[in-house]
Amino acid sequence: MSLTDQLLAAISIYGLPALFAVIAIAAVGIPLPVTLALVAAGSFVELGEMRLWQVIIVGSSAAILGDQIGFVIGRWGGSRIETRLRKRKGGADKIARAHAFAARWGGTGIFLSRWLVTPLGPWLNLTSGMTDYPWRRFFVWDVLGETLWVVIYVLLGKFFSRSVQALVDVLGSLVWVLVGILVAAILFWWILKSLGNSPGKALRRRPA
Amino acid sequence: MMKRLNWKQWTAIAALVLVLLVTGLFAVRTFRRAIYWRMHRDEVIRPWMSLPYVAHSYRVPPQVLYEALNIEHPPRDRRPIRQIAKEHNRPVDEVIGTLNEAIARSRQHPANGPPSPEKSP
Repeated sequence: MSLTDQLLAAISIYGLPALFAVIAIAAVGIPLPVTLALVAAGSFVELGEMRLWQVIIVGSSAAILGDQIGFVIGRWGGSRIETRLRKRKGGADKIARAHAFAARWGGTGIFLSRWLVTPLGPWLNLTSGMTDYPWRRFFVWDVLGETLWVVIYVLLGKFFSRSVQALVDVLGSLVWVLVGILVAAILFWWILKSLGNSPGKALRRRPA
Repeated sequence: MMKRLNWKQWTAIAALVLVLLVTGLFAVRTFRRAIYWRMHRDEVIRPWMSLPYVAHSYRVPPQVLYEALNIEHPPRDRRPIRQIAKEHNRPVDEVIGTLNEAIARSRQHPANGPPSPEKSP
């Protein structure tokens, strides 16, 4: 009996509390088949075993709770790592750059990793906490993104309620294609940038 | 003219090629799964599915499945197949096999069962 089967069976028997637990644990970063859980919940809505608004509220609040836990872990662990990094040569510079990057791209990253490139979600919770991203802004982007995620997947499950497993198989590999395209774009951008100013870069890196 | 690349740039290029390869494989897989889904509308019956779900997915009356397993049809039955199998001391695969046979029979002779209460999509 696979873990997936056991989790979905638990959601089928125990309903919303089981759905809440699975989604919250996955949001912290434990890999659980949440996509399948949400899509299956959508099909349970279609069958009249669950209510749409309840699934949406329970699903998104579970995800938001899990994300806050990840954020807190990141902030707590981050301050320890930071004190160690600061003692190293050039460490303070690296930290400042990481913070500037998070301040500039954090919101977009948090929002997109909630519903589009979901495998990156738990990582962004940690890094947002580590780089002191303002918690209120994190929370707002998180609520918007997670609610969108839950609504999209539950409605997909409701509309394709006869073929939950097939739909999830397609979605599951599609999400990894999106992650791959994103990572490839970032690498490509970095290579272009480094080819553009490669001679001076090595010199500028050295602390004065 | 080619600039001399440093080891970081070579690593990044190697990583880019690797990421593109893996992404390509996943793209092919996504495409094949989507095609498969279009060709075979039926779900493979899994142990997490409840009988009302299987009936809904295969567009057969739930009664057909309960009769095939020789069990009662309670209202709002949320039990997954694996639990039903456990309650009746039968292997899960055997229960799934019985359900598949019942679905095939019901489709061959749809007149035998009552008309499906399911609404069409």
